[in-house]
Amino acid sequence: MTMTQTCPNRETAVSRRELLRQMGAGFGSLALSALLADESAAETTIGPLARKSPHFRPRAKRVIMLFMFGGPAHMDSFDPKPVLTRDHGKPLPIDAPRVLSFPLRHGNLVGSPFQFKQHGNCGAWVSELFPNVAGIVDDLCIINSMHCSNSRHGGAVLEWHTGTDTFIRPSMGSWVTYGLGSANQNLPGYVTMCQSLSQGGANNFGSAFLPAAYQGTPIGSNGTPSKDARIPFIASKTPRDLQQLELQMIRHLGNRQLERSGPDSALEARIASFELAFRMQAEAPEVQDISGETKTTLSQYGLDDPGTEDFGRQCLLARRFAERGVRFVQCNSNGWDHHSDLKKSMINMSRSIDRPITALIDDLKQRGMLEDTLVIWGGEFGRTPTAENANGRDHNPHGFTMWMAGGGVKPGLVYGRTDDYGYYAVENKVHFHDLHATILHLLGFDHNKLTHRYSGRDFRLTDVHGNVVHDIFS
Amino acid sequence: MKPIGSNLVLQCVTCIALIVTQCAFSNGQPPKEIPQADDAKLKFFEARVRPILFERCYDCHGTDSDNESGLRLDSLRAILKGGRSGPAVVPGHPNRSLMILAIRHDPSLAAMPPKTKLPTQEIKTLAAWIKMGAPWPNSKVPVRSDSTGAVEVKFTAAEKSFWAFRPPQRPTVPTVQRTDWPTSPVDHFVLVMLESKGLLPASGANKRTLIRRATIDLHGVPPTPREVEEFLGDDSPNAFENLIERLLAAPRYGERWGRHWLDVARYADSNGMDDNMFYSDAWRYRDYVIAAFNNDKPYDQFVREQVAGDLLNASNDSFDRDEALIATGFLMIGPKMLAEDDPVKQRMDIVDDQIDTIGRAFLGLTLGCARCHDHKFDPIPTADYYSLAGIFKSTRIMLSYRVDSKWNTRALGSRELDERLEQLERELNELDEAVVLGNFIGKDEEKKRLTARLAAVKKEYAAIPRAMAVEDEHVEDLQVFLRGNHLARGPLAPRGFPRILTGAKQEPLSKSSSGRRELAEWLTRPDHPLTARVMVNRIWQGHFGQGLVRSPDNFGRLGQRPDNQPLLDWLAIEFVNRCWSIKSMHRLMMTSSSYRMSGAHNKRSAEVDPENRLLWRMNRRRMEAEAIRDSLLAVSGQLDDSMGGPVLNGNVFTILSATVLKDSEWFNSNRRSVYLPVFRSGLSDMFQAFDFPDPAVVNGVRSNTTIAPQALFMMNSELMDHVVQRMALRISRAAHDDLRRIESAYELAYGRFPSPEEFIEWKEHIARIRRLNAADNGGANRKVWESVCRVLLSSNEFVYIE
Repeated sequence: MTMTQTCPNRETAVSRRELLRQMGAGFGSLALSALLADESAAETTIGPLARKSPHFRPRAKRVIMLFMFGGPAHMDSFDPKPVLTRDHGKPLPIDAPRVLSFPLRHGNLVGSPFQFKQHGNCGAWVSELFPNVAGIVDDLCIINSMHCSNSRHGGAVLEWHTGTDTFIRPSMGSWVTYGLGSANQNLPGYVTMCQSLSQGGANNFGSAFLPAAYQGTPIGSNGTPSKDARIPFIASKTPRDLQQLELQMIRHLGNRQLERSGPDSALEARIASFELAFRMQAEAPEVQDISGETKTTLSQYGLDDPGTEDFGRQCLLARRFAERGVRFVQCNSNGWDHHSDLKKSMINMSRSIDRPITALIDDLKQRGMLEDTLVIWGGEFGRTPTAENANGRDHNPHGFTMWMAGGGVKPGLVYGRTDDYGYYAVENKVHFHDLHATILHLLGFDHNKLTHRYSGRDFRLTDVHGNVVHDIFS
Repeated sequence: MKPIGSNLVLQCVTCIALIVTQCAFSNGQPPKEIPQADDAKLKFFEARVRPILFERCYDCHGTDSDNESGLRLDSLRAILKGGRSGPAVVPGHPNRSLMILAIRHDPSLAAMPPKTKLPTQEIKTLAAWIKMGAPWPNSKVPVRSDSTGAVEVKFTAAEKSFWAFRPPQRPTVPTVQRTDWPTSPVDHFVLVMLESKGLLPASGANKRTLIRRATIDLHGVPPTPREVEEFLGDDSPNAFENLIERLLAAPRYGERWGRHWLDVARYADSNGMDDNMFYSDAWRYRDYVIAAFNNDKPYDQFVREQVAGDLLNASNDSFDRDEALIATGFLMIGPKMLAEDDPVKQRMDIVDDQIDTIGRAFLGLTLGCARCHDHKFDPIPTADYYSLAGIFKSTRIMLSYRVDSKWNTRALGSRELDERLEQLERELNELDEAVVLGNFIGKDEEKKRLTARLAAVKKEYAAIPRAMAVEDEHVEDLQVFLRGNHLARGPLAPRGFPRILTGAKQEPLSKSSSGRRELAEWLTRPDHPLTARVMVNRIWQGHFGQGLVRSPDNFGRLGQRPDNQPLLDWLAIEFVNRCWSIKSMHRLMMTSSSYRMSGAHNKRSAEVDPENRLLWRMNRRRMEAEAIRDSLLAVSGQLDDSMGGPVLNGNVFTILSATVLKDSEWFNSNRRSVYLPVFRSGLSDMFQAFDFPDPAVVNGVRSNTTIAPQALFMMNSELMDHVVQRMALRISRAAHDDLRRIESAYELAYGRFPSPEEFIEWKEHIARIRRLNAADNGGANRKVWESVCRVLLSSNEFVYIE
């Protein structure tokens, strides 16, 4: 028969067998029990979110992504440019990129209005905008040579989240959940808080052709205060005891139907999904209920200050989700697109995240979670060294900063370099594809082998690209 | 800067080859010879250029190196010959030399060296050298005159004989042993396969199951209790045939089956992907599709109109001009990345969407795979992709190709209006470009003036009835884009159709039109090997849950083989013989004994054929998102049956902000789901949970997942709360005692009465609920019936079609 070489275009029911078949050769170990010590509970869940082992021993078991939507200016935060400051006001002496968004608005060089100092034992430079993050630079691995291929938000945001700006493809979080399953069957494997619905919107956390179980579950969206953000349909008006009776009856009726029709795994799975939903309904609000946290913790995360409360809550929830086994958590800080009023906007935005982020890293460290949690900070691109609208900066995908912490990356490392003006990454360049490959590697995957067969082809997050940046591993 | 070491060599092997343009030669004749350079230039080369090449490039591109690209940089001849991708340098033109673009790390190319960028000074030196004509000692190198002729192609015998590429031959209807079972030739084909494995078809489904199955199949909602009664009361031998006729005649049919086609057409009301602009006129295409199904428009005409409606000839084709223009919306409504600064990339991505869509939708071929390289599995050379790309490149889709560019429309009603619209579009595009890009030459007054004028133009534009539609423009053949890169042009690919299907000899397409009309005619030739097969397979899937080919959008080598090819071929030929009538195919399939089987389990059959590929019983199917929503509204008596029309009023080119997307107003209407807006990257939570496909690409099969959010929707959503309240009211009014009310709820939800055992269980259940709610006097009874309705509608029996 042709079983081995033919695969359905799209699964019609996600049976375990089907899943194994689509995951291809890289997943020989799927059927074995999980190899992670703290996740090796006897429970052997069946279903798309069942825990799965990666290809090799992972350094990180979960990811917390701190996404700075809009593109923060690297030369004002982590990548000091003294030559830029020296040449402030002069025309750009190097070639501008071939493709420019606003050629007529491309002004002269603008030095950073912020002071930089070296911090920690590693001596990494951080601008005065991040006094708290500056205190933890010895935990960070700062990559100053990031680059991507699209100079527009839509393209670059999609490129970061899905690996392509051309097609609709599964998001990184859904790939990770697809590969690892979840360590908590009562919660979604992948959540994203207050993410923007524009610029690619739901595609940025969607699962595209991967089964829907791997899509990111949005908790609120851009504009929802994080204290009001909830998982869709999670709040029930039906009293719990009544709901329990109803679920019992749904099971009764379902069993009767199974008696009539004979065995059917799809029908059984659907009955089970109600029971899972019931548990999720109890557990998810509990994660978001932070009344049990100490006053000190709340204060560390900045929940006692209106300027930091919103992102602080996201960071605290990220820790609580991570603790409970959620595989991929994304916090979103929206508002880094500073085409004008750069100085004022940067002060506001950096202030809103500086304390919360620092608290998150400290907290994870204190709980022993930082070593196997990969924290990633960054936006879809950086900004130009040249002025736009007199006091802003334009998009710059050619060179910018992202940093990571925990999860097997070398702490206290500053990696890569942009040119003297911060326009282009020039040394140890790391493309989004490379960082994707690197992240998957830290999670125990060969990015070439984490594939899904769809429409006759094996797809992967990195498509035909991606080089693992081994230099930044601890 | 790090020295170039072995690490780099390794990376070079995996990198995509240095991609090189030939645009310098594309229009004029190639220079025959590079003149011998003068001494000063040669000195410059020796002192400045050669050391860079030596130090930075030769590890991978030197005499002894063996790299994937095949590019060597150790002689001018080699440089001008180039690697796999053609010449690396265009003498005199650094900005068109891909060597320079690659070392500048232009994002559209593979960066060279891949990991670390050369110092600016070295890049400038190489550019200066190319500018002076790329002088090289002792070289009088004839520049290769690249072949601009079409690429020859040879297919293997196996490729040519692949089942899907050979036209179907009409098979004889097989004889079967159990002659009392078949009621249609379809059954002979099914039964002969079962008998060959010693299997029996399942018994016939009862009449209640049948009417529910047929009604959901054709209308997407369950039958009403009265419809069930009438069908049960009809003892005539044609009762089922009559039922099918009634269902096919109702406009609900077009809404249901039109939606299936909209999946294939990747229909949406916004471009998605970036600024997400509202396609204010897409709804006309949606309504066209629904009407086409309701009117049983012959499928060949349906295809022709969608591909080339604007080019059909009034004297030869029976058609309505407006309708045919609207039909070409098929080519327009794809996802578009409009936040793209590179105009050529934007344009070619849009062309790619069209080729991919036409390939999968009509041919069941993944033609899009051949954009960057010859198709890895099917005999589709890249040149054939660019033959099709030429057709669509010669078709006007957008007014221009820039950030937030706007799309083409055609006025409906009269040609005079169309001319006016075109003038407006021209002006709109110019003003819009100035305003969107904000590249004002002058100052604020100019900006104000332009913005005001733009608003006025948009106002007049918005008042003209129009459709998203195509027209021909700048007809030209394309060169192959090497590795899909628009900066690297290969040989010419004259416009045409895939050669595996047409043979090598094709009539050249007209130089004065895009070739879409010829493409449309070729697609709908009666002897086309794929078009009819692909469509009858989609229809079969709509009735039986699985296609005869289970990968309906991929009939290629990596698709699945037909489970019953004689049946597929017989149906395809019937389809063409019956003038491509889709309704006639519904009749043919639905009146068969195969369709009327029950879904009863059979242990032996399940062992022999666990996936039911031979069709020993009816497949059980879960309703899609729309059918679930429409059915919930129907059984609670709320479904609004009004048809067609725009999805939201507002200005043209509205950008769908997060607020608009989250505004559940759009999704709170009680109209049929097919009329709700489909915003790319902004689907409603309910649709997202129930596997509504993000309309990015052709979607011939929906996912069918079972996940907790679906259960949460049933337990907690506002829509469900509303539905159970209304349904509870309905059954409470219909009857006054518990038994009658439960019966009434069963009739509405399941089209049957509860069994005595079920009734006992319900009695106990209701007693328990009453005990819980004992304290709550006023609302207790209402809550009981709401709870009963929620359980019935949440249960498997409601959402599965037996």
